[in-house]
Amino acid sequence: MLLRFFRAMNEMGVSVAIRESLWMPAVFNTLHLLFLVMFVGAVLIVDLRLLGGGARAQPVADVARDAEPWLIAALIGLTMTGIPQLITNALREYHSDLFWMKMAILLVAVIYTFTLRRRVTLAEESRVSPAARKAAGLVSLALWTAVLIHARLIGLFT
Amino acid sequence: MAPLRTLFEWVQAFPTSIAIRESLDLYSWILVSHVISMCTFGGLVLMMDLRLLGIGNMRTPFSQVYRTLLPWQIFFMGCSAATGLLLVYTEPMRFYGNFLFWIKVVLMLLAGVNALAFHRTTYLTVARWDLDNGLPFGAKLAGGIGLTLWAAVVISGRLIAYNWFIPR
Repeated sequence: MLLRFFRAMNEMGVSVAIRESLWMPAVFNTLHLLFLVMFVGAVLIVDLRLLGGGARAQPVADVARDAEPWLIAALIGLTMTGIPQLITNALREYHSDLFWMKMAILLVAVIYTFTLRRRVTLAEESRVSPAARKAAGLVSLALWTAVLIHARLIGLFT
Repeated sequence: MAPLRTLFEWVQAFPTSIAIRESLDLYSWILVSHVISMCTFGGLVLMMDLRLLGIGNMRTPFSQVYRTLLPWQIFFMGCSAATGLLLVYTEPMRFYGNFLFWIKVVLMLLAGVNALAFHRTTYLTVARWDLDNGLPFGAKLAGGIGLTLWAAVVISGRLIAYNWFIPR
């Protein structure tokens, strides 16, 4: 069922066109990386503050509110440049453990970022203990680092 | 460029260079570390440049963004440089003959000059424009140039792998 869906993606006209193009895969890949840099920046400026190493005199909520539009824009950009890369390599990705691992961790990381982490960052400063804030930052760093490692390894081993 | 070529060829023959080149795991982990440190460095530079341009992180005074992000930028620049040099050490001749590699090196030097110039000039007057939105032209210029140069560094770095400009 899932395999048929991935095979269908793989055989779509656009997929074939991108795959056979000399420059389109490189353009999607490079744009994906640029959005990734933006995403990491928007995550990290808040995580550093949560861990107590970033803009200390500033309320966490202010840093988080400033970072959020860039975080969301980068996530949209990553999705829009990720999908063309997925459909052009759909069959290879289907058979790659690294791809499914990345997607699983990514799902957890996105849900975590927009639920728990968001609540911790936007909450009243006095209502969150420093330990909880640190933990929230560490979990975020660990999850996104894991996503990045798997993402890069897909390019090497599939 | 003869001495440079000799240097690259000399390193290419080092036993440790050959060992990493021929190992699948070690090479991959150096590459992964390079990408992660680069994204971290680039992301934090972007956050600071957005503040300089007046389009991001405006709730925080610039001097605070600067003081808190700069140590991390320098740390991850060090990590990127170390892992990057290791990648070149592993495959010197692959990079020597790659046009985009040299473009990337020049762009990084220019970005460094831009950062240093900002630190030595515009940043000295930060007390006057730290909080309000009336950023001086010098700040916006440094932010815009930095953003453009580092984006170009990422682009040329990524495209090195595509081997488009290798003379055959």
